[in-house]
This record gives sequence, C-alpha cells and structure tokens, in this order.
Amino acid sequence: MDLALTEEQQLLKNTVRSFMEREAPKQTLVALQGSERGLEPGMWETAARVGWLGMLIPDEYGGSGGSLTDAAVLFEELGRGPLPGPFFSSAVLGALTVLEAGTEEQKRQLLPGVALGQTVLSVAVTDPNNSWGPVGVTMTPSRRGEAYLLNGAKTFVPDAVAATHVIVVVRTGAGLEDVSLLVVDTSARGVRTRLLPGFIGWQGELMLDDVELPASALLGGQENGGWTALESALEKATPLLCAYQVGGCQAVFELSVLYSQTRIQFGQAIGRFQRVQDHIIRLTNHLDSARWTTNEALWKLDSGRPARASVHMAKAVSSEAYLEACNAAHEVHAGIGSSQEYGLVKHTQMSRTLFHVLGDPKWHKRRMADALDW
Amino acid sequence: MDFEVTYTEEQESFRTEVRAWMEANVPRDLAKRPRTPEENLQNYLLRRELGRKLGEKGWNYPLAPRQYGGGGLNVDHTIILEEEADRLDLSLPPYYDSGGRLGGASILVWGSDEQKERFLPPIYKGEVRTWQLLTEPGAGSDLAGVQTLAVRDGDDYVINGQKIFVGSDNGADRIWMIACTDQHGARHENVSWFMLDANLPGITVQPMELMGTGGEGGTDSGEKNTVYFDNVRVPAIALVGGENNGWRVASTHLELEHGGGGRLGRNRLWERLITYCKTTLRDGKPLTEHQDVRDMLAEIYTKGEVTRLFGLRNFWLTYARQPKSYEGPQLSYHRKMAGLWMTGAILEMLGPAALTTDEDWGSPDGFLESQQRNGIIAVHPGGTADIQRVSMARRIGIGRAARELAGTVH
Repeated sequence: MDLALTEEQQLLKNTVRSFMEREAPKQTLVALQGSERGLEPGMWETAARVGWLGMLIPDEYGGSGGSLTDAAVLFEELGRGPLPGPFFSSAVLGALTVLEAGTEEQKRQLLPGVALGQTVLSVAVTDPNNSWGPVGVTMTPSRRGEAYLLNGAKTFVPDAVAATHVIVVVRTGAGLEDVSLLVVDTSARGVRTRLLPGFIGWQGELMLDDVELPASALLGGQENGGWTALESALEKATPLLCAYQVGGCQAVFELSVLYSQTRIQFGQAIGRFQRVQDHIIRLTNHLDSARWTTNEALWKLDSGRPARASVHMAKAVSSEAYLEACNAAHEVHAGIGSSQEYGLVKHTQMSRTLFHVLGDPKWHKRRMADALDW
Repeated sequence: MDFEVTYTEEQESFRTEVRAWMEANVPRDLAKRPRTPEENLQNYLLRRELGRKLGEKGWNYPLAPRQYGGGGLNVDHTIILEEEADRLDLSLPPYYDSGGRLGGASILVWGSDEQKERFLPPIYKGEVRTWQLLTEPGAGSDLAGVQTLAVRDGDDYVINGQKIFVGSDNGADRIWMIACTDQHGARHENVSWFMLDANLPGITVQPMELMGTGGEGGTDSGEKNTVYFDNVRVPAIALVGGENNGWRVASTHLELEHGGGGRLGRNRLWERLITYCKTTLRDGKPLTEHQDVRDMLAEIYTKGEVTRLFGLRNFWLTYARQPKSYEGPQLSYHRKMAGLWMTGAILEMLGPAALTTDEDWGSPDGFLESQQRNGIIAVHPGGTADIQRVSMARRIGIGRAARELAGTVH
C-alpha cells in the first residue's frame, strides 16, 4: 500500500500549479466567465505544447500514453481554478471515446489533432430529455444512400461551442443499447451550436438541420456497438471529472480557511466561532470523501481491477461534495462570497454545472447498486 | 497509488501458519453473541484463555515490543494476524481491553524502565484485562477538569473520587486513570496518570444501566460501570510520566482513540445488512428488489465506504510515518455521525424488525436491534462527535491562534 503520488506525479502537480498561477490568476479566471469558449487561445496552445492534451492518447497517435492517475493530477490542478475550457471534453472523454469506438483509421485521423489541440472534441450524449442512460438516446438518423442524415437537438452538450467535432450519440435500433456514435464536424452545413445562458457554465445546444454525414463518420464502422464503447470510455473518463471537482473542493477549502483566519468580527477572527468552524469541517469532510473515493477508483482502473461500482460512487460523492463545499464556503464568507470578483462564485457555478454532467449523484448511486449485484 | 496491501510469499506462509493455529485454538462459536449471563461469563473466560495462548506466541499484541511481552512483529505480520482474527469475527486481543490497548501505548512512551517491565508484560501476554478510567460525573468532554483527587502520602498516593462509563462486564485486573494531583494548579498541569491494581481495598465497581454499550471499534464491552475510590492507597510506582504531567501522557492514547491509528478491516454490519436485505421478503420479493430500499442501501454503503477509506488513509499515514493533521478526529467524527444517521436510515428502510431481538420477527442475533442502540451510544465515547470537530478545527488552524499539531501514534 502506498497512497502517495509518485515523484513524477508530484513534479507534474507543481508544474501545473505554477502554470495556473502564471497564466490563470484569479482576474483572468473571473474574466473568462463571460467567454464563449472558456479559455484564451494562448492557454490552449501551451497545454498542447507541454503535452497535457495528449496525456491519455497512446504514443502511436501522437500522445504520451500516461495513466489515468497521471491525468488526474493535471485535472485536480485545473479544477482548483477552476480553469474552464474543453480540457475534459476533448482530451479525456472525446479522446477515450475515439480510442474505444474508432477504427484504426479514425484514430489516426482524429487523435493526433486532439493531442495538438487543433481538433477539439465533445461528446453529445443527452437528448432534450436529459437522461444519461442509453434509454434516453432518441435522436435517430435517417439514411440518404450511404450517408447519414441528422436532424434535431442535443442539449447540455459540454463545450459545444468550443468543439471542432462533436461525437453525437444516436439511436440506430430498437434494442436498449442499439446506439451508435457519429462524428459531426461543427463547421459542416446545418450544424449550429449555441451557449446556454444563465448560471450554467459552458454547456451548449447542438442543433442539427439536415446534416449529411458520410458513412465514415460512424465510429467503429458498424452500427449499434456505440453504447458499449461509450460506457467503457465513460468509466475511465468519469474519475477525471471527479479529480477536477476534488481540485475545486480543495480551492474552496483553502479560500474558506484563509478567510476565517483573517476576517475579523466581534473583535476576533471568525474561525474562532464554532458555527463557522462547523461549515469548514463539513467542507473538509466533503473534500476528503471526494478525494479518496476518486483516488481509489483511479487506482482500480489503472491496475486493471473491476472498477465500475467505485467509479459510480466517486462521481456521486464528488458531485455532492463540490456542491456542498461551495454551500459551506458561502456560509463562511457571507456577503463577500457572492462578489464575482472575489473568486468563489466561479466554483459555485462550476459545482452546479458539473453536478449533472455525466449523470447526477442519484443516477450514479443506482448504477453503483446495479454494479454491486445487490 | 496503491490501495491494496500486497503480500509477500513470506507473509502468505505466515498466514498459513496463523490460520492453522487459529483453527486449532479458537473455540467454535466464540464470536456468537451470548444469550444469558452464564453464557456471557463462559464466553469471556474462553476469550481470556485464548488471549493467554495468543500472548504466549506474541500474537495478542503483535506490534508491541518483544522485550515487554509483545510480539515485536512488524506491520506486515500484524496485518496478517488482524486479518485472520477478523475472518473469525474477532479482534486482537480477543476481549475488551481498551485499557491495555491505549494505556500500553502511553506507558511505552512515558513509563520508566521499571514501570515498563512491571506493567506491560501482563497486558501484552493476556494475563490481565485492563480498563481505562477517564470520565467523571463532572468531567466528560472537559476531561481536564477531573476532580478525583490523588494526594501524596509518604511513598503512596491516596485516591478519592468517582469515575463513570468505565470498562465492561466481567471485571478487570488492572486499571489506569487520570486524577487531579494539584487542586490549585493550572489547567492541564494539575493531573497525573496512574496505573494500578483493580482490586485494591476501597475500590467499588457498580454497573450502570444504559441503553447500550457500543464503543469505537474492537470488542463490545457488554456493560459500563461506575467506579468509586474511597481512600484507595497506591504505591508511588503507579504514577507514570511524573506528577502533574498526566495530560501529556493521556494525549498519547487520546490520539489513538480519536482514530489516529487508522484501521483496516471488514464492515461486518454491512455484510449482515446486505445479506438480510437479499434474503428478507417484502410484498413477495426480496428487499433488495425494492427501489426505495436500494436507494437507501446505496447511501449506507457509500457512507461506509468513505469511513473505510478514511481508516485506510489513516492507517497508511501512521505506518508510512507521514505527517498528520486533522485526519484522526475526522475518521472518528465521520464514523460516529454515519452510525447515528444509519439508525434512522435502517429504521426507515426496514421498519420495526430493526427494533426487536425476537428470533422470528427480528434480525439474526438481533444485529439490527443492537445497531439501533449502539449507533446512538457510539457518538459519545472517546470524545463526542462535537469534541472531534473541535479537535479538527484546531488542527486545520482555525480554532486557536496557533495551529495545533496532531498527537503522535507509536
């Protein structure tokens, strides 16, 4: 047993942290809140250059083939910002979906671009019914000769506006899991993306209006194998979103501890009041619950153990944790916490957004129970 | 990261040896809950006998130094022993001995050579059972406010006072306690730590009538007592760590009691609960096929897993000698609150069957009924859940002006 990061992982952690301090200080992150893509082009280029976009892509497709735990180190640090942008959508879920579902040719076509940052992927799972299981996939392509014809809307698509290509999950048969994956170039005719306004962060609508796709757009080249491949990609990708949430919890924890040590009311630091301490303890417990369920899920995946139940648990716990951590932080901070400039709000907004991305806690707990064979 | 304790060939061959020994020496049904006072006493005597046999091999307290009658074994071997005992639903030692477990740690750190040689071997070899005496009617969470008084008189101390929530059923051979040794001294600097014979003249033990007796981990104590001290005369060698230094001595075991040592082990309650739900029918189908039950089981399972992971983390922090901060009290707090919450969750999920020990309409061995009582009781011993929060806050650095370091677990 050894629960420490390796030396290389520690080094990566330090590197990402200093990148974040240099390139994404608080003012930059607050300024990004209003942006469509959630990042500045310079950051994306740097991320590509230092290899962060290819961490999960094998060498032969232009990546560095790191472990999930390696990538989690990166994502925890990004989550501390939280630095938005399609890091997870493209370099994790997108890349893993292509790896799981694509033909050799499709992998060669798509993955090197992902690692270089030139191709930005997103995966559109949810239809307007917003359910994360295969039963919720209702968009059905029609055929025009060899080609597929797509019509309709995919909703709550993460980083839809930033994506150059969206992997659209569609129904191609009557069986529950008769689902296929089609790669849609967002610059193609009939494709429109739109950022959803409001408290939600960087989730979009993908409108498809008679979009014609060649047969080669079908990942894997065969229909109905999409769900198995996607599920496999989701199993590996989910703990990295959890790691991002852990990073968010950690940042919110540090912010709250510091504030409670320095904010003076009634003649003393507010951290001396047990009511305030209780908020921070609640926050700490959520943070560590998220951290250790996530770490164990990553370890199971990296070491080839059955991990499905652990992954579902980690997502349920981390999503609740991030949301609750932000709630506790708002109680500690009171008024100042609601100021956009202060830096807590961006976490609050992200915690709410990620609560549902890849499925909410209730959904994951039910899948966990199934995976445990009760 | 590696979450699994991996075993060497040498460990596996040790396991074979341990398992064979346990099969030959652990009486059948030892872990089964006694139903009558006679069965209870019989069970206790069998457990003590097993403890002495384990003690001969150094397996009663495997990590304790061999020099003082412990096993002198390393963590690798201790893990094997604990796992093999756990397989039989036992802990090491196989009887309630919190006084030995916690007191031994303090004596190792604070005792003189003479005290170590005199006090430790009987504990480690299983020759004596030891109780801890901390709480008083006027000193619960505010433990430093103990009023039991020990006054120096020649070569002796004379002790007067009252301790509550002490020990177990079936009595003890040794006890240790903290007592006030300077009524006018500064707080934390006026208490001393004593180790003494439990059967000295002037000591009276009276059972308390309580809702339950569940402590934190280890073997259920079965009973708690009030212990009265009426001019109890103890030789000065009973004083460990020096006069008025008792708070520091106690800090060593309080950290252990607050979860600082961490834990590996099965979640026995969960195993029984899921089996119960798979085999008990409601409306003609197993409980596990009802969505409301599945949802609640998922919540219970998740809380249990987080508790397990906190215990695993603390175990690793301890044995990899990593710096610790708030993790000990965090584990304790989480376990206590999960247990308390679970009483309501189980009652909601399973109804009145959780409240009866009836063989036909309750749960096997009344394990659910026991949880209904002990989930509440367990919030208090070893520092209440609120006290754990106070400790956490200090160590996070928000409670007091100066950040307080975690105690050390040896």
